[in-house]
Amino acid sequence: MSLRIGHTVDRPGAVTITVDGTPVSAHPGESVAAALFAAGRRRLRESPRAGAPRGMFCLMGACQECVVIVGGRRVPACQTPVSEGLAVTTGVPW
Amino acid sequence: MSAPMFDVAVVGGGVMGATTALMLARGGLRTVILDRGPLCREASGVNAGTLTLHMTRASLIPYAVRGHELWLSADQWLGRGVAAVSTEGLSLAFTPAEEEMLHARAAARREYGAPIEIVPASRARAVEPGLSDQVRLAAYCPIDGFASSYLTGRAYREALVEAGAVVREGAAVIGVDSGDGGFSLRIAGAEPVRARRLVLAGGVWLEEMLGWLGLRIPVKCLINQLVVTERLRPVMRTVLSVANGLLSLKQFANGTVLIGGGWQGIGDPKRGGVQTIPENLIGNTRLARWVIPALAETRVARIWLGLEAETADAMPMIGAVPGVPDAFVIGSVHSGYTSGPYMGRLLADLILGREPERPLFDPSRLLEPQAAPALT
Amino acid sequence: MSGAYDLIVLGAGPAGVGAAVTARSHGLSVLVVDENETTGGQVYRATPQAFATRADAPANPDKKEGAGQRQSLLASGAAVAFRHSVWQVSPGYRVDAVGQGGPVHWSAPAVIAATGTTERVVPFPGWTLPGVIGLAAATILLKSQQMLPGRRPVIAGCGPLLAAVAVAVLDGGGKPAAVLDLSGPGDWLAALPALASRPDLALRGLGWVVRLKAAGVPVHFRTGIAAVRETADGLAVTPCRVDADRRPLPDGAGQDIETDCVAVGHGLTPGTEITRLLRARHRFDAALGGWVAEHDADFRTSLPGLYVAGDGAGISGAAAAHLQGQLAGLAVARDLGRLGADAHETAAAPVRKRLAAAQRFGRAMARLMALRPAHAASVAPDTVVCRCEDVTRGEIDEAVAAGARDVNQLKAWTRCGMGPCQGRMCGETAASLVAEAVGSRGAAGLWTGRAPLRPVPMDLLTGDFTYADIPLPKAAPL
Repeated sequence: MSLRIGHTVDRPGAVTITVDGTPVSAHPGESVAAALFAAGRRRLRESPRAGAPRGMFCLMGACQECVVIVGGRRVPACQTPVSEGLAVTTGVPW
Repeated sequence: MSAPMFDVAVVGGGVMGATTALMLARGGLRTVILDRGPLCREASGVNAGTLTLHMTRASLIPYAVRGHELWLSADQWLGRGVAAVSTEGLSLAFTPAEEEMLHARAAARREYGAPIEIVPASRARAVEPGLSDQVRLAAYCPIDGFASSYLTGRAYREALVEAGAVVREGAAVIGVDSGDGGFSLRIAGAEPVRARRLVLAGGVWLEEMLGWLGLRIPVKCLINQLVVTERLRPVMRTVLSVANGLLSLKQFANGTVLIGGGWQGIGDPKRGGVQTIPENLIGNTRLARWVIPALAETRVARIWLGLEAETADAMPMIGAVPGVPDAFVIGSVHSGYTSGPYMGRLLADLILGREPERPLFDPSRLLEPQAAPALT
Repeated sequence: MSGAYDLIVLGAGPAGVGAAVTARSHGLSVLVVDENETTGGQVYRATPQAFATRADAPANPDKKEGAGQRQSLLASGAAVAFRHSVWQVSPGYRVDAVGQGGPVHWSAPAVIAATGTTERVVPFPGWTLPGVIGLAAATILLKSQQMLPGRRPVIAGCGPLLAAVAVAVLDGGGKPAAVLDLSGPGDWLAALPALASRPDLALRGLGWVVRLKAAGVPVHFRTGIAAVRETADGLAVTPCRVDADRRPLPDGAGQDIETDCVAVGHGLTPGTEITRLLRARHRFDAALGGWVAEHDADFRTSLPGLYVAGDGAGISGAAAAHLQGQLAGLAVARDLGRLGADAHETAAAPVRKRLAAAQRFGRAMARLMALRPAHAASVAPDTVVCRCEDVTRGEIDEAVAAGARDVNQLKAWTRCGMGPCQGRMCGETAASLVAEAVGSRGAAGLWTGRAPLRPVPMDLLTGDFTYADIPLPKAAPL
């Protein structure tokens, strides 16, 4: 069942982003972090020292836990809007 | 009951002061070391940790080589290491003028024993595959390395306590009086500390400290900018610098890359490092990215400023304070982190009445003629 | 983009908007900079511009207030730079930021830091697991992304956000598995007199409680989280009863609660990155959320030309933040000579009066959310405190025992707070643990402010350049 709340807003038609090569559906206006969360892809990286799984946490660009690679650049997924064809790489291993 | 009389008081808890105090305590002197803050939290704890010969002043090479050895064996003689790593070092030229400079500087350093050789760009890239293809020429040195300088304070603190020295962190010395066959150090908000001998090791604050003894030796304060990136896949393995000395670059085991080289920020001894100059930050990071293009993938995580002391002739002052018996000074060593532990040992040898294995650096050459009368 | 203004406002939440609109009304040229795509900060965070609000969507007072503020800023003629991340503020003042187009900078004789808060979360085993998020993060999902944090989330922590999030989950079609409130009914009763100063908000809160009860959402007072663990299809939360100081009771652990998301927050702490970076004077006040920049009644800091407003100046809530922004805006107009002393007083007096009432409410909420040292002290030795560097409570204790006497020394010895979040996540807990050893939070100190205020991508910072574009200083001595 979707986490998206349906009765308050009309979202633009879905676009497809790819996450580690896998297509994920998302709506323009959503952040990459929220889109992945809604798609059940919560594990975004491993912590550098203990190798423990991590996912989005603060959602306001402070904690840096949701850093992914987009366009060759490290970005916080929560501050990055989705767009058609956006390629996201998770698992920033360092 | 009067306060105890120490054999020696060391003012300034950086690498120079802390090594001197450690060796004196181990040599049997009743030692107190005082710092207005925690140990090794100024230059000694915030510098780039570069253990290189490429950036060392030529005549200090023999000292730096010994310092390099000491850092790499710190877990043995200090008790706790500072994550020192031995690797190779490359200094790079990107223009014909820099090629010339590289040749001249390598030759000068070779004269003092640095095993530096000039190599073509192809050889440099074989040593460091991540290098830019813009490199024209390189100087190669098999002796290089780096440490994590922020670990320095903890290592020295434990060693000093273990050696029986009294460590007074957060004790700001504000003046010195003489009498009773020794010195009485005035401490802000606390009882004075008395000692028979005095070692001033206050880095960029040495000018003020020497003033306590009535001496005037100007000490210039450099405000060096340091930049560290977030963790990044391994993109380099050596220590990199450029011909003119304005870059130091290394990647730590944890993947972060430290960018230094002495680009200046805003600050002074009173306020410390105050502000980054954005143009200098951009210049320094551009140079780093020029050298290792893969740095474009990462993000700048933190910028800070470290204060470095420099005398009029940019050479150290280490030795007896002229005209003041039982007072000593140590500091203003260019690339001082590298050679610091060795310099501290040499001064401790002098104070303990042993012949130092290399010459010290007599401060009297730096005295300004209008010096006030010595301590009364 | 670059340029000079009379005033640069950092942050476009209620405080920043209040400041900018007020300063504009007195003729100042104003630039407002924010990371987000529009005004609102976190409290009035708007739905994305791409979403269309449905005509039949339920009314929401926050949404209305946020939209009104957004309109007032647009109408004020202030310049805006949204989606810009400020990485440096230099004395004088110069503001450096990166946007999608690369580095930019602006200058102004006056800066108002209206940077809001960071949420505090006191660690527990499992708090780093994916699916455990901040309570403020849950509000962003709900308000902005119109997304549930979970179908049956556990909502835990303290303060008014608990009920707000729980009700929003109900409104959105989910049902919280439980609400775990560290406060007891007595703590809420103690806040009652202050609540009377804002009957509208007090009634709204009461409405939330009634709503949760009617929906059958279990609300456990004086209860925290002992641990969260992963299960085959989600998360399991072990709740734990706590005492009045929020210390877990020895036999307080309860039955595991199955859930798909944990939203947890232990209060808000003022965002002081900019005032710390500029070395303004700060003081510690637990009731205000932690360290705050010292300021006068008109929100001038200890540095000429630098002002603070909003929760970043001490947690006081959205209504107070907006009024504080207005006072700071008036002070800038006065200090730049655009407003005479009498005119300033005439304009400021009614705002101060309204602020007093608004602050009373906001600060009662802040007290409910203030960190209790016993809570931080209850973190187990093997629990990670610093998420960036995986530094555990045990490692912090070891460094403190070895002589680390303030938070910056702790950072150097353990890397706690040295990672990319720059100590925003671990700072409160780490400082509280150091304070236990050295006597007070004042003695334990605060992280030294450092640029960049957010990690800056190297490619954006350095831009396109050639070797000739690098302004090499003169060579180092040989």
